[in-house]
Amino acid sequence: MSSKKSIEPVALDQLLKKPHQFFQNRAPPRFGHEFLQYYSFNKGFLNLNNGSFGALPIVITDACNELTVWQEDNTDYYYRIGFIPPLIGVREQLARFVGASDVDEIVMTANTSTGMGLVLRNFLWKSGDIIIRFNTTYGTVYKTIQYIHDTNPDVEISQYELLFPTTREAILEGWQRHIHNVKRNAPQGSKIVAVVDSIVANPGASMPWKEMVRICKDAGVWAVVDGAHSVGQEPLDLAASGADFFVSSAHKWLNAKRGCAFIWFSKRSREIMLTTIPTSASYVSPGPDRPETNIISQFQYNGTIDYTPYLSVHYALQWREWIGGESAIHKYCNNLAREGGRRLAKIMDTQVMDPDGEFTLAMVNVVLPFPKDFSSSYDAAVASALTNKLLAQNMFAVTFYHRELWWTRVSAQIWNELSDFEILGNAFVSICGQIVIEHQNANIPPDSRAKSFHSYLEHPFRGAVACDPNDGLDCPRPVTATTVVPVGYHTHLASIRP
Amino acid sequence: MANVVSQYESKPPPFGHEMRKCFSFDPEYINMNHGSYGSLPSPVAEAIKPYYALAEANPDLFHRFTSIDLIRDVRKRIAKFIGAAHTEEVVFVPNASHGLNTILRSFIWEEGDIISSCNTTYNSISRTAEYISDIPPHPEVVQFTLLFPTSHSEIIQNWRAYVRSLNEMRDQSAQKLGRRPKIVAIIDSIISVPGALLPWKEMVKICKEEDVWSVVDGAHSIGQELDLNLAEANPDFWVTNCHKWMYAKRGCALLYVPKRNQHIIKASFPTSHAYKKGGGSNFVEQFEWNGTIDFVPYISASCALDFRAWLGGEHVINDYCHRIALEGGKRLAQILGTEIIDQDQDFQFTLSMVNVAVPFPPTMSSAFEIDMAFRRKLLIKRKIYPAFFYHNGKWWIRCSAQIWSQVEDFEVLGQAILEASKEILEEFGDGTEKKTMGIEDKVEKVN
Repeated sequence: MSSKKSIEPVALDQLLKKPHQFFQNRAPPRFGHEFLQYYSFNKGFLNLNNGSFGALPIVITDACNELTVWQEDNTDYYYRIGFIPPLIGVREQLARFVGASDVDEIVMTANTSTGMGLVLRNFLWKSGDIIIRFNTTYGTVYKTIQYIHDTNPDVEISQYELLFPTTREAILEGWQRHIHNVKRNAPQGSKIVAVVDSIVANPGASMPWKEMVRICKDAGVWAVVDGAHSVGQEPLDLAASGADFFVSSAHKWLNAKRGCAFIWFSKRSREIMLTTIPTSASYVSPGPDRPETNIISQFQYNGTIDYTPYLSVHYALQWREWIGGESAIHKYCNNLAREGGRRLAKIMDTQVMDPDGEFTLAMVNVVLPFPKDFSSSYDAAVASALTNKLLAQNMFAVTFYHRELWWTRVSAQIWNELSDFEILGNAFVSICGQIVIEHQNANIPPDSRAKSFHSYLEHPFRGAVACDPNDGLDCPRPVTATTVVPVGYHTHLASIRP
Repeated sequence: MANVVSQYESKPPPFGHEMRKCFSFDPEYINMNHGSYGSLPSPVAEAIKPYYALAEANPDLFHRFTSIDLIRDVRKRIAKFIGAAHTEEVVFVPNASHGLNTILRSFIWEEGDIISSCNTTYNSISRTAEYISDIPPHPEVVQFTLLFPTSHSEIIQNWRAYVRSLNEMRDQSAQKLGRRPKIVAIIDSIISVPGALLPWKEMVKICKEEDVWSVVDGAHSIGQELDLNLAEANPDFWVTNCHKWMYAKRGCALLYVPKRNQHIIKASFPTSHAYKKGGGSNFVEQFEWNGTIDFVPYISASCALDFRAWLGGEHVINDYCHRIALEGGKRLAQILGTEIIDQDQDFQFTLSMVNVAVPFPPTMSSAFEIDMAFRRKLLIKRKIYPAFFYHNGKWWIRCSAQIWSQVEDFEVLGQAILEASKEILEEFGDGTEKKTMGIEDKVEKVN
């Protein structure tokens, strides 16, 4: 038998030294355009939308490629033994980072939609239970709650209307009243589960979520926090927050590879979690053999996935330390968001949604320069046109409809500078002007809504999103299908034409 | 940007050890367990790099438009590959467990309903059935027993009798409940352990005759089972992993739901923004966006098919693997002095996986610690590893024959197993006397 070197479990850092060297050998640049060389954006692409999909620094991309090599080196070793210590290491790092009191309060999942789905579907819903959501609850979570109601018709939905502009004080007063009313009318013995955003997606608004959680807990209401945008955008101290569950995406503001989020649960809340989805091989039926949930071991492996996104958190945290640390990052982005929002509003001659900045962290919302009567009803074709025209100009920021106005949500990131907001502002002036003219020329009836892509083929608003008028939702949704070919866009479809 | 097609201009290396050039294994590692997690060919890893570059070059363009269009094209290609009648019947999910959970959780379970699994059902899917039974309204899990050695015809016979007995159970419930409960049968196309092809199409047909839902776990099928024609086989639901035998990047799997059954799938997991009550009408749309993930594995399925075409296509690949599986398995059984689990004279159960008994006495313990001991002694110490499992009173090895395999790998494995099983017998005893189990192993069971 030839003597081979046997495999020893090693820590991730020992195995993959490259990023270590990277961070040791150089000083970081200043925040702003100097940072663009560390990212892989198209030349000239103006990225003012970190909030949707994040962006992976080149050094972390390289580290992830090394992780893939490691995965293919000896796949059985990786999946049976190898990934476990570094994954626990990442959970420990995250636990410290977000103020969990124990590593077993943190489990990894693919994204916030999945994490929220896992939590909400694990509750054993009974007749009379109530789920509280918001009109601003993110689309997938909004619909998860809808699905739970549809499959458990005796579970009620109570919707809280959140309308901007507003004040933190007004929100808390309204929330207190709402919880009080729901509690008062709830049947005996029912449970009430509130789904609260820490940072709303559209508009991009940081909520007084800790106070809202306290109001829930004082009333005996479960507090499930959709914190998708939180980790990396605001400091977190979850054990102290009083929340029951908190889900956040590390691939948004924490620089992890896409497909990486975590669920935090208090020890008490953990008992709600019976199973992962898909159910793991290590699931054990409740009973004398399993007095407590074994959800932690279930989350370790529940179907073959690529663990690289989860493991990338290890490098993401090193990256953030290297570029200046959390406080410096938050300060830069927050200042830029406020200043940038003001500048944007000036150029477009509109207004910032949150002039006092009490809802503003790294995202700012500004009204778009449409004529007043143009925005009286939601039109999916306008949404589509805004997206298409921005991309055609090699830039992007989110646009959304809220309270009879069109808005843009702009993300301020460490690669952005004030001039980016100026460019965006001027672009919007011209884009919105174009849309108004095209809209007039297309003779679209004022109260029309785009029902499907095909109905708008004969006029310039291509790629319209199907929108059910009974939905009444302002939630963001991806636009399907387009023939727009913006500057710098290149296809690589040769290999996949059937 | 590199021309993806150019890497396929030269001829591929011959099958066998030279084919390792197309993979990135540790040179000292003999990979005999492709079946568990698949292996990513280096040309496929190269071919998908441009898509990762696109994802970072303009994340909004990629995630809102490009990836969606690309994946639609890939679905069209794959739908043809598996013989689906319509592209709209095929959607991507991260892995087979995810797809099967989506199906099983979509049924509206009621008192009296029956979930049928098998003693050979994949462990996480058995647990899924258990979980569903654990929560109200507690549908009952009934198990079909399948023990090797057996034959396809015997299985079909037993299956028919079993499904009929389920119907009798149902008739009794129906009387009490005043309505007819449903029966949902989970059927493996290819069992995981032992690695064995079942007469699943006949079993599906029997389900149809007996008014039983057929949920086919085809995790191992695509890329290993030739000439799939789902429109013809017509299961009610079918799931497969592209990242196993088809060489896609992990995690990439297909959920196939014929149009007639799409109304059953109430929602994707997680629920899509496009969800609406009643499901069905926008089945595909509900699976196009379920939160931000790495979408490149789904795109890689097409790159994997390019690679396989370059190698000569499905028949060329599988004829080689099948031949090596049989020859290698026989050689291994010879060295170990044991037998192949597939006793059928035509080896009906064997595609590219072969199962050989471990040379233990019949009294040997079935404890999980034995599996862990083999893992230490083979995977870590000797850098060669097949899957181990306990079935019908014996320990078995499941070997995956792949395009880089040669019969001599089975000979090396044979020697390693002889040594390791002798060591394990010494450490654990032969089961006739009470001996304390050795090292406590906290490593979770994964397969």
